[in-house]
Amino acid sequence: MTEKPWSDFELYVITASSNHPGKDLVEVMEQTLIGGADILQLRNKTGPWESVLQEAAALRELTRRYGVPFIVNDYVDIAIQVDADGVHIGQDDMPIAEARRLLGPGKLIGVSTHNLEQALKAERDGADYIGVGPVYPTDTKPGRAAVTTSYVTEAAEHIRIPFVAIGGITLDNADLVLEAGARRLCAVSAIVGSEDPADACRSFLEKIGRCKAIERNAVTTIKLNGEKHQTSAGNLEELVRELGQGHKRIVAELNGVIVSKGMWADTAIQSGVDIELIQFVGGG
Amino acid sequence: MHKQGNDLWADRYDRQIRFAPIGTAGQAKLAEAQALIVGCGALGASLAQHLTRAGVGKVRIVDRDFVEPSNLQRQVLFNEADALSMLPKAVAAADKLRAINGSIEIEALVMDVNHHNLAAPLEGADIVLDGTDNAATRLLLSEACFARGIPFIYGGVAGSQGMSAALVPGETCCLRCLIGEEADAEEGQNCDTAGVLSSSVEFVASLQAVEAVKWLSGNRDAIRKSWIAADLWTFSVRESALPGRSAGCPICGRVIAKRDMTSHEQMQAGKESEAGSSSASWCHTAAVALCGRDSVQVTLPVTFQLEKWRETFERLGYEYKANRYLLKVELPESERLVLFPDGRVLVQGVADPARALQLCSFYLTRP
Repeated sequence: MTEKPWSDFELYVITASSNHPGKDLVEVMEQTLIGGADILQLRNKTGPWESVLQEAAALRELTRRYGVPFIVNDYVDIAIQVDADGVHIGQDDMPIAEARRLLGPGKLIGVSTHNLEQALKAERDGADYIGVGPVYPTDTKPGRAAVTTSYVTEAAEHIRIPFVAIGGITLDNADLVLEAGARRLCAVSAIVGSEDPADACRSFLEKIGRCKAIERNAVTTIKLNGEKHQTSAGNLEELVRELGQGHKRIVAELNGVIVSKGMWADTAIQSGVDIELIQFVGGG
Repeated sequence: MHKQGNDLWADRYDRQIRFAPIGTAGQAKLAEAQALIVGCGALGASLAQHLTRAGVGKVRIVDRDFVEPSNLQRQVLFNEADALSMLPKAVAAADKLRAINGSIEIEALVMDVNHHNLAAPLEGADIVLDGTDNAATRLLLSEACFARGIPFIYGGVAGSQGMSAALVPGETCCLRCLIGEEADAEEGQNCDTAGVLSSSVEFVASLQAVEAVKWLSGNRDAIRKSWIAADLWTFSVRESALPGRSAGCPICGRVIAKRDMTSHEQMQAGKESEAGSSSASWCHTAAVALCGRDSVQVTLPVTFQLEKWRETFERLGYEYKANRYLLKVELPESERLVLFPDGRVLVQGVADPARALQLCSFYLTRP
């Protein structure tokens, strides 16, 4: 597997065993990697040191197989012992400089921040990335006031290092967080607590991808069955699939000419084209 | 020919001959032509009437079904007496067509067209008109037509909508290129799910019939190489150009022009296109659910002597109706078996093929 630069991550997942009672931690986290999560953090604030170490070793092995960076929350010593890719520390934990001294220059240090001041300080102190949140109230961190999406917008304007929005993010509010300026999301219970963590990850990534496509101006405006329609599909086959019509007998017309089904994948969707999708009528 | 002498009918085609693109020459060509209409329901009956009145020399109609009261709203050739006597649609249609035009040949085949038996009805056909109600049969016909170099005129209706396209070997793509070949693709709407208006039927049948008349009267350049989709209720009509043959398509990618082939070559081409299927044709039991109709067609590898089965069911005390073409038996569970001599059974009141097979095996395997 070719590993992309760690800083290209889009979906950050964090363990939370209490969200999936009866399901094995490593199995659940493997599902998130299958679904496309591209950075993984072990957070276990209640278990004894030995079991955290054990979990860290298992997740290190798992993430290595998937070529995904592995971060340990709080335990710098465990991070070193299992050769994790980095640590994540809170505002009340050890200073960044101390963590850096222990870990060495090649490792990642992430810092939780709750306002712009903390964020700018973390950036100055040499953090590799920051968490921005909690955007929404969350059971994972009870008692901490939500910072709302306005801090996300501030971070997007002022922070140069990667930042990941975190806290109470679900598939229902992810679009708002992305609109506020986040390009990296972290969800905990919405992923590891879901019936199908892989599918949940795919859905988050789809939202992020769509948001980036709009940003790149990769969304095309076409006329579909007589009405204006925006699509990120590159070709006719993708368009039909995007519309959820892939399983139907459809006849497709582009600018007045029917397109053979075999040519759908080779037929590019360009801005302004006139497309009609007609469901084949079968009665006689 | 009519006994009254030709003079009485001399003007039969007068108004059609006066239409310049047809003229005397076109009319003579029509008289030499043969058309096959597959499916004689709403579209098929209307198509058959158009071609019969137009004077196509030989009209062959094929259908697997029989007339029921629910057909009368839109299937123009049938009447109450046909429904009461449960006549096969092909037979009932042929009776009416012969009364309409006694100077042409009408041939009726009561059968279910499949890839084992397709060659016979296609024999000699210059064109095939689509009166079927399912994509599988249409794809089969499209492939067979392209193998023989003859046009396939698709038509379909549902609700107030209708579609039509003239698919011409060498000139346009085939049906598979348009809708794909996936057997599991979700069918579009059909008459049984969306209902159907007779106006939409007539509209589509007219579109199909006019293309057939063009082709058969020597006006091949006038064929519209297009797909027409219309909704009569809202009145919208859309005509889209059909793509040419697809180079990579095994069906329309190779060109076989009928006019360049001897009839022997045509037969060979036809045989080739069905190669691989003929070997197994003698031992097939198939059950196909008829979409939305709460019935399943079971094809058994036997023939039925209807009179013998009538006696059997009478002895057993079942209610039945019979004519020389079929036997309909009311089963105690409210299901109905309709037996055709060719080994087909329409199991009515059943949507599950497994249940239909179970009923056939229970009632029809005893001697």
